[in-house]
Amino acid sequence: MTSAGFLLDGLWIALQPRNLLFCFIGCFWGSIVGVLPGLGPLAGMALLLPLTFSLDPTGAIIMLCGIFYGAMYGGSTTSILMRIPGEAASVVTCIDGYEMARKGRAGAALSIAAIGSFVGGVLSVIGLMLVAPRLADAMLAIGPAAEFTILLVALGISAFAATGPLLKTATMIALGLLLAMIGLDPLTATPRFTFGSLQLADGLSFAAMAIGLFGVSEILMSFGQTITERPKAPALREMLPNRRELKEAAMPTLRGSFIGFVFGIVPGVGHIVSTFASYAVEKSLSKRPEEFGQGAVAGVAGPETANNATTGAAMIPLLVLGIPAIPVTAVLLSALTIHGVQPGPLMIAQHPEIFWGLIASMLIGNLMLVVLNLPLVGLFVSMLRLPYGYLAPTILLICLIGVYSVKASSFDLGVMAAFGLLGYFLRLMKFDIAPLLLAFVLGDRLEINFRRALTISEGDYAIFLKGPAAQFAVVLAISVTIGVLFLRWRQSRGATP
Amino acid sequence: MTIYTKSCRNDSRHIVFRLPLALVGAASALLALPATLAAQNYPSRPVTMIVPAPTGGGTDVFARVLAEIVEADLKQKFVVENRGGAGGTLGTTQIVTAKPDGYTIGFIWNSPLTTSPHSLNVAYTPDSYRAVMSVGYSSYVLCVRPDFPAENAKELVEKLKQPGTRYTYGNDGVGGTMQLAAERVFSSIGVKLRGIPFAGAGETAKNFLGGHVDFYGGSLPPILPHVEAGKAKCLLLTSAGRNPSVPKAEGLSALGLDKAETVLWWGLIVPAATPEAVFETLQKAFIQAAASDKFRDAMAKQGATSRVLNGKATDALIRDELAALGAVAKELGIEKKQ
Repeated sequence: MTSAGFLLDGLWIALQPRNLLFCFIGCFWGSIVGVLPGLGPLAGMALLLPLTFSLDPTGAIIMLCGIFYGAMYGGSTTSILMRIPGEAASVVTCIDGYEMARKGRAGAALSIAAIGSFVGGVLSVIGLMLVAPRLADAMLAIGPAAEFTILLVALGISAFAATGPLLKTATMIALGLLLAMIGLDPLTATPRFTFGSLQLADGLSFAAMAIGLFGVSEILMSFGQTITERPKAPALREMLPNRRELKEAAMPTLRGSFIGFVFGIVPGVGHIVSTFASYAVEKSLSKRPEEFGQGAVAGVAGPETANNATTGAAMIPLLVLGIPAIPVTAVLLSALTIHGVQPGPLMIAQHPEIFWGLIASMLIGNLMLVVLNLPLVGLFVSMLRLPYGYLAPTILLICLIGVYSVKASSFDLGVMAAFGLLGYFLRLMKFDIAPLLLAFVLGDRLEINFRRALTISEGDYAIFLKGPAAQFAVVLAISVTIGVLFLRWRQSRGATP
Repeated sequence: MTIYTKSCRNDSRHIVFRLPLALVGAASALLALPATLAAQNYPSRPVTMIVPAPTGGGTDVFARVLAEIVEADLKQKFVVENRGGAGGTLGTTQIVTAKPDGYTIGFIWNSPLTTSPHSLNVAYTPDSYRAVMSVGYSSYVLCVRPDFPAENAKELVEKLKQPGTRYTYGNDGVGGTMQLAAERVFSSIGVKLRGIPFAGAGETAKNFLGGHVDFYGGSLPPILPHVEAGKAKCLLLTSAGRNPSVPKAEGLSALGLDKAETVLWWGLIVPAATPEAVFETLQKAFIQAAASDKFRDAMAKQGATSRVLNGKATDALIRDELAALGAVAKELGIEKKQ
């Protein structure tokens, strides 16, 4: 049978009323956990996982997958309306999405994010069907040395994506890397900066930090009346994006799909890195880079598409190799093993109904989500009609609930408050917070892969040039550096005619 | 809740923790009559079962299946609560410091009890809790790529012992049970390998298949599909006996090293001062549940082996393992720092 034949079979499976219902439940619940700050796809899936014990494996994985990409849709909502990242992959959207909302374009930003998510999601599923086995080989080739170089490139890109001057961005990156040091040393298990507390043994909670730095600091800023312009609800006929905005979003959406799918290969942090990469690419290709940080449409469309496009690639290691590359797919793996299905190189042959049923349901689910999310835009935007005196405490309450529910840890609430204060002072001094968060996310993996590589090579730095993947990564690093320098030069020339 | 945020130094630990225990003992003697009555009616309200691991892992699945079986038997709700973090030590601390009335119990895997105390300042010792029973184990396995010139455990050891060889193996993380289990085997054989820590067996499998490390070290399920596909060859288990899912791999008894066995196992613990009647009720119900077909089936699906032990045997296992792994950790230079 050809792929098309298998896909038709898959559609038949996915369209069974039972599976359609599971797909809807997953997408709906995913949208909710995506909207709620703190609760990401991981927490959302973990909550519903026990329910899947009594389902069949196909239904179980269709539902859990729905939560995964549903959360990617919902994550942008609070970023745009309240400057609180719903989950890690929506940090970048806080920058221009919120600025759009302040200009009364909240409806347009939400619609563009939903449409971008749909395009990215569908294209990545198609990519998953076409190149899954080949991409799986590429993923295996990436060892610790290559991964280190790729992450270094990602960090470099974020320096370019940032809005502030280079020195301030570099300071934020350094601070982020230092904060990532907190916890157990990965090679000796020595506690670092934990002050003897078990609470810090795992390091700081990303959700608590991100919500503190963005959401809480925003509320603190408003107390001092530092912000005069708050997001305002647009009139009904201004809800949808206008023609100019759609045109500006078109190319970033397509580029974002590609960037997202490629970065989906990067183990662990692909969905976050892809948003920064897409933002940087859009900013460097833009004719008006000065608009970025002031509500550029491309700064919302690109990253929001990219984070959804990683979902397809992120599934590849699980479905083709049986290896979960990110925590979310680890939950999917356990949902399958509970039913005695062990994904691996033979799964597509042994359980075609699961693989193709899942592919088809991802296509259907993406359609469901865009139909579900576009009408909700109006509802979400109407929240902005609330007087800020009521809205601010509500936001704070949502933040508290969200952060607490991740690990049921009151310690994390303290972390959120502390980072709220830190974010307040950083913003008073006009520091850009996004690079700090990216550096924090990448810090762990940068360090461990650097040290893994050198342990394998017994201290020989030549390992960073050994093997095709590592060499490719170095070529990538050099070409990105040259590309960034060239674009900066071109833009600076364009700016002073 | 604040007991464990203050670091508790080794020398002072005994004083700090024996005193409250003694007080609890005295108090329960004074209140003996009503306490016994309450214990006899146990369980009269829902029981919280803390699992110090996130949802979805083997420990969580086993806890939920057991809870379901025991609920039907004791006619009371057993609510599973996941409290992950710090290698399970956060949740375990919550279990041992809970009110010892049988309404907070803990389903754990061995790592927070016998491994983590060597690298983290945990606020508990085997005296702070009581093992009720254990359900079974899963062995770790050492696998090589198909072209590796060894077909069984003996040949593997010969290869490892050859002078000038510098092999690397992937493990589940420094100070974890898997690393200590493997190092315990290596040190009994008398060889040294460079361990490369990964975030879990899945990541280890990826780096092993990609050729970045020489040996796969980890649990069975992630590597099994690759053994089936002819991409890996598993030769040595960290359990004494064999495992039917990898017929080629030999147990440690093939090398005469039965005593170096370290496996991943699961069991039930309660706070040390839990009333005897409650303890007996739980021990009986959970041993029965663990022996049921439904539970054995759940274990088989996760590649685990059923081996039901009572509280006394589990307690002895914990104390032995804690001491043996402590010696391995010391040899590796892993130690608690303040």
